Amino acid sequence: MIYVFETMGTVVSIEPPLKVPEIEALFASYNERFSLYRSDSELSRIADGSLRLADASSELRNAYSLALEWRSLTAGVFTPHRPDGIIDLSGIVKALAIEAAGHVLAEDGDWIINVGGDVLTSGQAATVGITDPFDRTQLLTSARLGGSRRAVATSGSSERGDHIWGGRGFAQVTVVANEIVTADVLATAIVAGGVDTLNASTSGWDIDVLAIDPAGNLFATSGFTVSIAAAAARPTAH
Amino acid sequence: MRVRAVVLSALASAGVLFLGWELGASSQPAQTSNAATTTGQPTNPGASSSATSTPTSTPTGTTTSTPSASGTGLNDGTFTGKTVNTQFGPVQVEVTVASGKITSVKALQLTNYGGRSVQISNYAAPILRSEVLKAQSARVSTVSGATYTSDGYLTSLQSALDKAKA
Repeated sequence: MIYVFETMGTVVSIEPPLKVPEIEALFASYNERFSLYRSDSELSRIADGSLRLADASSELRNAYSLALEWRSLTAGVFTPHRPDGIIDLSGIVKALAIEAAGHVLAEDGDWIINVGGDVLTSGQAATVGITDPFDRTQLLTSARLGGSRRAVATSGSSERGDHIWGGRGFAQVTVVANEIVTADVLATAIVAGGVDTLNASTSGWDIDVLAIDPAGNLFATSGFTVSIAAAAARPTAH
Repeated sequence: MRVRAVVLSALASAGVLFLGWELGASSQPAQTSNAATTTGQPTNPGASSSATSTPTSTPTGTTTSTPSASGTGLNDGTFTGKTVNTQFGPVQVEVTVASGKITSVKALQLTNYGGRSVQISNYAAPILRSEVLKAQSARVSTVSGATYTSDGYLTSLQSALDKAKA
């Protein structure tokens, strides 16, 4: 059994359907606070000048502060600022909501939550397919999760939203990590920052990465290669 | 008044030093735990780097070598270079020599963007498409891909998977 609902301009799939009302309310509250598509959201009121950052909620200020921390950790490649100066937290809010959902489900056994292609599990062994950036109806490969490896995020250079600016790097980057925020932010940053950000990320964080350049060349850390082999050793579908 | 303050602070410093010497001499565990608490790092969410704060000056590099009769003039063994401070941060390499030839050069410490020193062991290397495709037909629980919109979801693999499990 799986439960599917729309939020934040994308779709959430949660398997099995655990604490559905709480999870839906949680995503709705992040959307109400951070969406720039809603003129009445707190972040939109900061953007239009009707609310000062100093008067904003602690949730908003904490998210902004975390985004700024990631900006400095990624040498500015990941940024919460649009070129026009507007604060846009869409690059981190989805991951924060997924992380919060994970806390809600912490005592509920095995589960998988997928939000627009970003995945968090309870830590059980699971195989995650990774789409082919050049043909999204196909899987390029799959990777095995388990234990502390609970989070997978994939970013593409043509993905929606504009939290990746000036992309010059990879067509698609998948990051496996222990936490979803790390996976999501670094996947976003590596797509935009290219090889330099890839090397800085794999040496600075405990992550496994699969990156595909625009010509289709593939690059993987040894952890990802092991994860692919583990997935390949599983029984095939049908 | 000023002289008195200087004398008092000197005495206090001497006391601290003596106490430290006493602790170090009498209690090995105390010294160890003290060392552990002083290797602080800037907070770095998600970072796994085991690199600790790097001394600004280190003694000359350590070597483990055996004399070799080869003609290159290089002794066999593993040689750890000094930590050199560059404008980008500390850098240290390890060189392995076998039969008079350098067989590997490993960076033990480099610095990343933020100037933190990091251990080098996790670089992404080229991988063949055929290697990756081996896991293409594995039975998957869920699908990770670049973020899809609510509309894009309808044609996504995750959508097909969700329908199959509904």
